[in-house]
Amino acid sequence: MSRPEKFIIDGKRLDGRTPDQLRPIKIEVDYLKRADGSCYLEMGKNRVVAAVYGPREVHPRHLQDPTKAIIRYRYNMAPFSVEERKRPGPDRRSIEISKVSKEAFEAVIMKELFPRSAIDIFVEVLQADAGSRTACINAASVALVDAGIPMKGILTSVAVAKVDGVLVLDPMKEEDNYGEADIPFAFLIRGGKIESIALLQMDGKMTKEEIKEAINLAKKGAMEIYQMQREAIMKKFIEEGENE
Amino acid sequence: MSNDILSEIKKDYVLSKLRDGERIDGRKFDEFRKLEIRTGLIGKAEGSAYVKLGNTQVVVGIKMQPGEPFPDVPDKGVIIVNAELVPLASPTFEPGPPDENSIELARVVDRGIRESEAVDLSKLCIEPGKKVWIIFVDIHALDDDGNLLDASAIASICALMNTKVPASRFGLGEDFDLPVNDIPVSVTSLIIGDKFLVDPTRDEMSVGERTLTVTVDKSDNIVAIQKSGDYLLSEPLFTEVLEVSIRASKKIREEILRQCSKAC
Amino acid sequence: MRKIVLPGDLISTNPKVAGYGTYIEGDKVYAKILGLFDEAENSAKVIPLKGKYIPSIGDTVIGIVREVTANGWNLDINSPYQAFLPLTENPETKPGKKPNDILDLGDAVIAKVINIDPRMRVTVTMKDKICRAIRFGRIVAINPARIPRVIGKKGSMIKLLKSELDVQIVAGQNGLIWLNGDRRKISIAEEAIYLIEEEAHTEGLTDRVAEFLRRRKECLAQKNS
Repeated sequence: MSRPEKFIIDGKRLDGRTPDQLRPIKIEVDYLKRADGSCYLEMGKNRVVAAVYGPREVHPRHLQDPTKAIIRYRYNMAPFSVEERKRPGPDRRSIEISKVSKEAFEAVIMKELFPRSAIDIFVEVLQADAGSRTACINAASVALVDAGIPMKGILTSVAVAKVDGVLVLDPMKEEDNYGEADIPFAFLIRGGKIESIALLQMDGKMTKEEIKEAINLAKKGAMEIYQMQREAIMKKFIEEGENE
Repeated sequence: MSNDILSEIKKDYVLSKLRDGERIDGRKFDEFRKLEIRTGLIGKAEGSAYVKLGNTQVVVGIKMQPGEPFPDVPDKGVIIVNAELVPLASPTFEPGPPDENSIELARVVDRGIRESEAVDLSKLCIEPGKKVWIIFVDIHALDDDGNLLDASAIASICALMNTKVPASRFGLGEDFDLPVNDIPVSVTSLIIGDKFLVDPTRDEMSVGERTLTVTVDKSDNIVAIQKSGDYLLSEPLFTEVLEVSIRASKKIREEILRQCSKAC
Repeated sequence: MRKIVLPGDLISTNPKVAGYGTYIEGDKVYAKILGLFDEAENSAKVIPLKGKYIPSIGDTVIGIVREVTANGWNLDINSPYQAFLPLTENPETKPGKKPNDILDLGDAVIAKVINIDPRMRVTVTMKDKICRAIRFGRIVAINPARIPRVIGKKGSMIKLLKSELDVQIVAGQNGLIWLNGDRRKISIAEEAIYLIEEEAHTEGLTDRVAEFLRRRKECLAQKNS
């Protein structure tokens, strides 16, 4: 891939989207049999699978917290998920992503209800496009709901990038690689509204005004993704609720 | 990291003072601790800096050697930041490979240097596509009394400013000063409910390891942000932290320039 | 039709009505789990659709002995938490009788939860007429969230199964159900339980189960004649 000369031509991005448009998203709930909750999610070319196990007993035992459940989050890229084969196992990037994602979920899961237990969230990236961490959080969020885990609300994640001086929602690979800045967000959505920020990172160059603008763009995108998360869960469980 | 009993028992004190709008060491909420910088203390390194921020101490050493460029940027030097939180620096640090905290620290420092384009990497090409200068920034924590991240970021940029490229050692001409164009400053705030404290001490961190780091370049651009910890951040608080971080970064940059120009 | 709610859905602005599966923040009541919204005059609760069994005092559970100690038995109760059955809470305990002569690894029991401490250490007893060591019959496992449907309103569903099939049934809140009686009738009961699990939240379930039992009994009668 080489740097495109221009990212936005006649108001359209390289893949034909407008700056405030998301990539296509597909969500499938209860995708795995063995896990307590699971989700398959596509976001652009990202293909990710999330599984939730727990609350369950903690092994090794010294990791137990007598007052609450410990949350573990593993973001893992399959070796074939990127153009050049990735060496299996966690690298520094994956470890950092796992850490900040875990902390985002720790802020919304009611972990004090399950002392001495663990809630494990595993997300496998089968194919990586830009924004795989946001896709993983969206999938993990649905998997947690599917597992029946008590939470304050739903987490929804999306990134904003700056290319050619313009803010764009949900960046694709070219925008992510060669853009001027990238901010991934995850929001807590409660009562149908965005309430607070659960994950926030940024690298690149932006003025504080641009950052404020980026939040608004991300919020718009997050609400759309939230609706899709919601619909996917409803679709899965609606038969059970019918005629009750 | 917070299971240190001596810090743990400080929690009530910190919170009680905070209720009166005060910090336990008398600082203002947006005030850094006393900053002391010494550069060039490691003769064997291409550049080095020792930073003492309050009681937090860190040494950064720079080593350089020729190596292969990244395929997508064949004509630019490479910068690699690594942090070791050695057991000497805190009763809660353990020996072994870098854990998620040291990796996060190194990556946030790295982002600040990289995104502010502080080091002019285009001047570090030896033979396009084949050979460029590789810069290793190694962060070595000595004493973690809180906010190791900002101390490390300051030490890293000071060490880089102090670095001489060892060209003669590799038969590549005369040594030259590493071209440094910007001084990114990271400002870490401890988030406590709807309040925040800039440059938290270890005692203040006992209320919960919940921080927001904003790195600012010399033109007031934000070049890196990292929310760290299991908390929810409201948008108004975030905006406020942004504003305060930009202001605080200016003061620290002035201090870096004052102390480093004196030393260099 | 009952509405499906997700964590964070606002379900009431009256904290007094907050029931199971909800939480209060400020003056608002939100759902905390995925489930069916059940609203009555003085209560708003969420009936879970999925989730692990979390013990609560008074629950009947079926457990399997995982560890025998000098003071009692640790039971796996299909939950993140094991349950402890003290020697003193087992009526079969007698002086001079060793714990593993009474209950050994792998043995199953029906017990009642009598205590849970703040760290979720669970204590059970067998001093209740429903409790027993399971030495015959069959144990069936289903999603614990569906047990209330197997029991039915005021025990109506379980009564239907018992009377139609003439089998013993004890449903543990932890998703395990003990069946005892004629082998083929137990199998019919097991199938009926899976049917209830599958269609737990649909209308007219009792009628459909009754119809299912009637048909299966006819088949059985034909085979026997």
